[in-house]
Amino acid sequence: MKYAYFPGCKIAHHLPDYGISVEAVCAHLGLELVKPEFTCCGYPVRHESRDASVYSALRNLALAASLGLDLMTPCKCCFGNFQQARHQVDHDEKLMYRMKNMLKEDGLDFPATTRVRHLLQVLDDNLPSVAGAVRRPLRNLKIACHYGCHALRPENITHFDDPLAPTIFERLIAVTGATALPWDLRLECCGYPLRGRDDAIADLLVAKKLAGAEASGANVLATACTYCQLQFGAENTKRPGTIPAVPYPQILGLALGLDPDDLGILPGDAVASWFENA
Amino acid sequence: MDFFSIGLTLACISAVGGILWRVRGWRTRGAAVAKPGPGGPRQGTFRAVWRGLADLVFLRRTLRQGFLRWSGHMLLVLGFLPLLVLHSMDGVVTRPLIAGYEPTLDPWQFLRNLFGLISVFGLILLFWNRCRKLKKLSVAQDWALLAVVFGLLISGFFLESFKIMSPGDFTRMTDEYFVEEEPGELISLKAYWAKENGVRFREFMPTAPEMMEFGAELHEDHCAGCHAPTSSAFVSRTMTALVPASRHIADQGRDLFWHVHVGLAFLGLGLLPWGKFFHPVATGANLLARGGHVNSRADTPPLSRGLGLDACTRCGQCSLHCSVAPIHRVMGNADILPMDKLSDLRRYLGGRLSPARTGALTEGSHICTECLRCTEVCSAGIDLQDLWMASKKALTEAGRAGVDGEIRKRTAGEWSKELGSRDLGRIGSTGAGLADRAESFWGCVQCTTCTGVCPVVAVSEDPSRDLDLAPQQIMNLLRMGLKAQTLGARMVWSCTTCYKCQEHCPQGVPVADILYELRQLGAEILRKKEGRS
Repeated sequence: MKYAYFPGCKIAHHLPDYGISVEAVCAHLGLELVKPEFTCCGYPVRHESRDASVYSALRNLALAASLGLDLMTPCKCCFGNFQQARHQVDHDEKLMYRMKNMLKEDGLDFPATTRVRHLLQVLDDNLPSVAGAVRRPLRNLKIACHYGCHALRPENITHFDDPLAPTIFERLIAVTGATALPWDLRLECCGYPLRGRDDAIADLLVAKKLAGAEASGANVLATACTYCQLQFGAENTKRPGTIPAVPYPQILGLALGLDPDDLGILPGDAVASWFENA
Repeated sequence: MDFFSIGLTLACISAVGGILWRVRGWRTRGAAVAKPGPGGPRQGTFRAVWRGLADLVFLRRTLRQGFLRWSGHMLLVLGFLPLLVLHSMDGVVTRPLIAGYEPTLDPWQFLRNLFGLISVFGLILLFWNRCRKLKKLSVAQDWALLAVVFGLLISGFFLESFKIMSPGDFTRMTDEYFVEEEPGELISLKAYWAKENGVRFREFMPTAPEMMEFGAELHEDHCAGCHAPTSSAFVSRTMTALVPASRHIADQGRDLFWHVHVGLAFLGLGLLPWGKFFHPVATGANLLARGGHVNSRADTPPLSRGLGLDACTRCGQCSLHCSVAPIHRVMGNADILPMDKLSDLRRYLGGRLSPARTGALTEGSHICTECLRCTEVCSAGIDLQDLWMASKKALTEAGRAGVDGEIRKRTAGEWSKELGSRDLGRIGSTGAGLADRAESFWGCVQCTTCTGVCPVVAVSEDPSRDLDLAPQQIMNLLRMGLKAQTLGARMVWSCTTCYKCQEHCPQGVPVADILYELRQLGAEILRKKEGRS
């Protein structure tokens, strides 16, 4: 399988370890990632301009289409915005007209058929082979899955999983040998979208979320979104002792038997110390 | 005081004063960005110096961005630097250092042409590169720098060319260095120079072989010590063909091009501290200071930050590769792209940016997604990522926190009063027009499910104090056409976009999409207010 890999803007500087682990896991599983020069998905600018947001998304889809590939992203917010953009042009003829014109001026065709896939979906599509590749099952590791809002809702636009009772993340945790624990706030927001806009509420949301995950009895909180991981990671740094957030590909990578160094796992990281003690 | 000394004095005053002024700016502007953050371990000094030097001498960062610009720049530097040192400063460098130096002797005469030609060739490549890819991003100073250097080089060739042809120069030399011992000597020498070295005398020159031979002897005795054949000035000598033999304008041409050439040299020197004319100094210093680093460092000291602010060569790579370039394409604000944002940031930190442009800078600063790409492609090695992150902080601290910040400066009631007095149509509609469409709210039965599932409402101790309105109240006001009353509500701006309200609404009201639309409208109103739309 071959995908146009869309890491999103934040990985390069703010979360390089996430990118390293995504690429390592995909390489190990034979998922080829092609890396054209993508631009912003348009998610952050959606507050300011609908046209700018939709055009940003479509331009990337058009770029993937020009390579004849589907687009794969490890970020729920990028994923959500691609789906949103596609939904909006499909339901607004004037918007479609404007977008097609701009793409044409930039020498690109409207991406009518390119599919957008989240990393979890791609792994879930290949679940049997992922399970078959697990070399070192992470028994005894208890995980609280954090779903992330923008892939999950609104379901009629994102088509990710059942918005009220999703199971994809738990399935993917199960193949690693770890246990996914049920908890009340697994579908709630991490609070990152209010970072820099209303920090007080962003702080309250993340604190509530981590407290909920901890109360579930889990060892780690698993994420599959750049923004969620940034939000939880910053809170972990600010308040040591809170339940550590770990990007899912690092967990999967360990189960696949990959070297922690190749997964961007640093010696002091929670998942590394758990792994050594296990 | 003549043209030369007045020009040189003015140019030196401008250059020295300007450089001092700019270096002073490194500290003040660098300190004004924001306090440096914590940083990681640094590489060893030797390694940093070595890598910085390699970046500077071989233009490694430029090479990474493409061969055309690199080869153009490399040729220009390889040609121009020797001209600058050996030719323009020959009085203080070449003559004292090299015994027997004369500008009209080889190899100097030949090298001057060679280096000039290399420079011109490099400059043509740079010009082509700018025309091909960067036309849209270029401003007057980009073309001005190319024009000044090109003019300097070309006028130099013309000057030398006219000097070769000039009978006035020949006479000046013979008056000073040649005493005619018997009649016929001067005419023989003239005839020799006219034929061999291209001097164009007004009178007819004899060509008899015995005269030539005599002229050659005299040349050997009196001139050759200081004059190589002008044919070694292979460009200038060839260019003499451009002037028709019938036109005796060599003396005037020489005077004209001397003034043009020297004038442009003074202009270039005088302009050195201004705009991108300063890049040979600031960019070089920045490449050394960065020591080969491509990554961003939050602990950059103020002086290095200030230097980085000055080091832009306007090569345009950052703007060409910018992650939010498609947003710039739609919104049109030049400060969304790094290259223009950097120059406006400089002006802002120096207190010289107009309020309207400051609004544009703030918008650009907040639209940047901090993706690191501009920093990776910057051929001047500027740590743009650090500058963007630090300046976003500085702008926020100065009360410029973007759309959110502006909206939150006033209460929901104040906004409602201001916007409510306007015709609803003139508040405008944006996005999908969901908030203006009655159908959006037909199903709403005010069941409060949206408010009940909202995580923001849930973490607030006192929602009516923190949020002004609950989601279902906003829907109700919109249903009644009271859009102005909702636009400033904290709930709209503190929505965390989790879409639970929309997913859970039993009646299918697109609550979260409507809140998005209200924010888009707020942003549009502010853009119009600041004169950007």
